[in-house]
Amino acid sequence: MNLHTLVDSLLSDTLETSLPLFRPELALCGTIVLMLLVRVFRCDRLLPPFLLAFAGSVVALWLALPAEGLASWAAISPQEIFTGMLVHDTLSAYVRIFLLAFAVLFVVLTQLTGIADRENGQDFYTLVLGATLGMCIMASANHLLTIFLGIEMASVPSYVLAGIVKGRRRSSEAALKYAIYGAGTAGVMLYGISLLAGVVGSAHLPTIAHELAALDISSMLAPGGDSSTVMVLALGGLMLGVGLAFKLSAVPFHFWCPDVFEGAPAEVNAFLSVASKAAALTLLVRIGFGLGFVHETPHATLATNQPPAAIAQVSTTAQPPTTFAALKAEGIVNESTADQPLSPVRNFFVVLVALMAIVSCTFGNLAAYGQTNIKRMFAYSTIAHAGFMMMAVAAAVALLGRDPSQSQAAIAALLIYITIYLFMNLGAFAVVAFLRNEMQSEEIEDYAGLIRSCPMTAVMMTAILVSLIGLPPLAGFWPKLRVLQSLYEAGGPLMITVLVIAGLNTAISLVYYLRVVKVICIDPEPDTRGPISLGFLPAAYILVVSLPVIIFGILPDKVAQWAEQATMHLF
Amino acid sequence: MIHLPLAHLLSEPVGVSHYVMVGAVLFTCGVLCMATKRNALGVLMGIELVLNGANLNFIAFGSHVLRNDANSLGLDGQLISMFVIVLAAAEAAVALAIALNYYNNHDSIDVDRADELLG
Repeated sequence: MNLHTLVDSLLSDTLETSLPLFRPELALCGTIVLMLLVRVFRCDRLLPPFLLAFAGSVVALWLALPAEGLASWAAISPQEIFTGMLVHDTLSAYVRIFLLAFAVLFVVLTQLTGIADRENGQDFYTLVLGATLGMCIMASANHLLTIFLGIEMASVPSYVLAGIVKGRRRSSEAALKYAIYGAGTAGVMLYGISLLAGVVGSAHLPTIAHELAALDISSMLAPGGDSSTVMVLALGGLMLGVGLAFKLSAVPFHFWCPDVFEGAPAEVNAFLSVASKAAALTLLVRIGFGLGFVHETPHATLATNQPPAAIAQVSTTAQPPTTFAALKAEGIVNESTADQPLSPVRNFFVVLVALMAIVSCTFGNLAAYGQTNIKRMFAYSTIAHAGFMMMAVAAAVALLGRDPSQSQAAIAALLIYITIYLFMNLGAFAVVAFLRNEMQSEEIEDYAGLIRSCPMTAVMMTAILVSLIGLPPLAGFWPKLRVLQSLYEAGGPLMITVLVIAGLNTAISLVYYLRVVKVICIDPEPDTRGPISLGFLPAAYILVVSLPVIIFGILPDKVAQWAEQATMHLF
Repeated sequence: MIHLPLAHLLSEPVGVSHYVMVGAVLFTCGVLCMATKRNALGVLMGIELVLNGANLNFIAFGSHVLRNDANSLGLDGQLISMFVIVLAAAEAAVALAIALNYYNNHDSIDVDRADELLG
C-alpha cells in the first residue's frame, strides 16, 4: 500500500461514506459557527439567537430522521465511519434522534422561560448545541479517543451552563464544584485509557476486544498464571469507570449532582438529567458491547475498501482483516460454551456496573427523603433512575454471551426508559422553571395547594410524579417492567439480587414522590401567595411535554416498537 | 541482598517502562495535589499534572523507538496526546473563568468555603 492509494481510500471513505452519515452533527457545527458570526457582524437584531438555535436543531433532527421512515432501520448495518473513530448503527441513530429531539424541545423551553435573553442568548445556545454535539459523539464512539473527546465535549459546556446565571452565589459555587469534579475525573479516566490502550496496543474498541480475546485472560487468572497484565487492565478499566460514573452521577461519584442541580437553573437541570444521562448510558452500552463482544463491524468495511481502521497504524504491521472474520466465526462457535475468551471481561464489567447500579439506586432514593428543595429532590431522583437504567446495561452485557436476542431486549428496555424519562423529567423541570418565574421559589412547601391556583399544571405534575414512581397506568411503568424482565432473564445470584433491590427501591421511591403530590393537591393554600397564572404558551408547553407520559402509558406499543427496531440489528 | 521492586529499571537501558514510571509519578502527584490543595487554582494544577502523566504514557506507548513491536500504539498514541493537549487548554480556560466568577461572588477561591450547597 503506497501513500497515494492510502490518501485516495481515506478521501473516498471520508467524503462518500462518513460525511453523509455525519450530517446532523455537521448541521449542529454549522449552527454554532453561524451563531458566533452573527454576533461578530452585529446582526443579532435581525436574527435572534433563539431562531437560529431552533432552526439549527430542527434541521439537524430532520437530517437525522431516516428518509424512508423508521422501518428502513432494518437496512442499516453497523458501519464504521471516519476510519473507525465512530460507528453508525441503529443504536447511534436512535440515540441521535432522541438527543436532537430533546434539543429542539429544550430550545423552546429556554425561550419560554426567558433564561436565554438577548444579552446571553448566543452564549447559552452555543453551549447547549456544543454539548449536544459532544453527546452525539458519545453515543456513536468506537475508539477510546472519541470516548474521551465526546465526554469532554459534553462536559465542558455543561460546567458553564451550570453557572450561566451571573451574580448568584449558589450558581457560581455549583459551577465551580462541577468543573473541578468533572476535570478531576476526566483526568483519572484519561490515565485509565492510556493504561488500557498501552497494554492492549490499540485504542479501537473492536480491535481491543480482539486483542483481549487473544490474551486468554482466564489462564492468566488461574493459579500460577502471571496476573500482572490483568491487574493493569483491571486498573485501567476501573479508572475508565470513574469517568463514566461521574457522567452517570453513580455513587460514589455523585457528590456534584445535588449541588449542581440546586445551584443551576431548572432548565439546565433538565438538560443534564435527560440528555447527559442518555448519552452516558449509551456510551456505557458501547463500552460493554465493544469490549465484551468480538464485533462483525470491522471487516464489514474492511472487505469493501482498504482497511480504514488500520490506516492510523499503517506504518506498523496492521491487523490483517481476515483475523476478525476468523475470530468472529470462532466466536459464534464458542458462543454457547462457558469458557469464552472474553467472559472475564464481561464478568468484570457486569459486576462493576451492577454494584454501582444497586448502590446508586438505593442511595438516591433514600437521600431524596429529607429534601426540601424540589430541584435537590429531583437530583437524587435522577441518581436513582440512572442506577435503574444501569441495571438494564448490566443485564444486557450479562446476557451477551448466552442469548443475544435477550440482550437486545435489555437494550430496548434501556432505550424505552430514556425515551419516557425525557418526557417525565423535561416536564417536571419545565413546571419547576415556570413556577420559579411566577413565585420566585423552588421549595416544595411553597407548592402547597397548587391544585387550586393552577389546576392544569398541578394535574400534569402529579401525573409526572406518579409516572416517575412507575405506577401502572402511566408511562414510567413499562420501562421498569422491561428492565426487571431482562434482569430475570439474565438470572444468576447477582442479577436476582439486583432484581430484588430494584423492586424494593420502587417501593421506597413511592414515599418521597407522593409527599410532593400531597403538598400540591391536599395541603391548604398559604394566604401570602398571590394568584399564579402561567400564561397560555407555558401551559401549552407543559401540556405538550407531559401528555406523552399519559399517552405512552396507555399505548406503550409505539415506543416499544421504535426501540426494538433500533436494537434488532445491533450485532 | 535486598531486591527492591522496580530496581531493575536502574540497570536497564531506557525503555517504555521508564517513561511509564515518570507518568505514574506525575499522576500520583496530580491526584495528591487535587486531594490536598484548598485553593481551586492548586486543584486545577493537579488536574494538569494528571493529564500530562496520561499524555506521557500515550507518547511512550506510541513510540517506535522505545517499543518496536506489533503491540505499539503507533501514531494513535501521538494523535491522542495532541487532542488531549488541546482539550486540557480548553478545560483550563473554562475552569479559570468559572473560578474567576466564583471569586467575584465569594471574594475567595478556597474550595473548602464552597459549602453553601451541602453535597
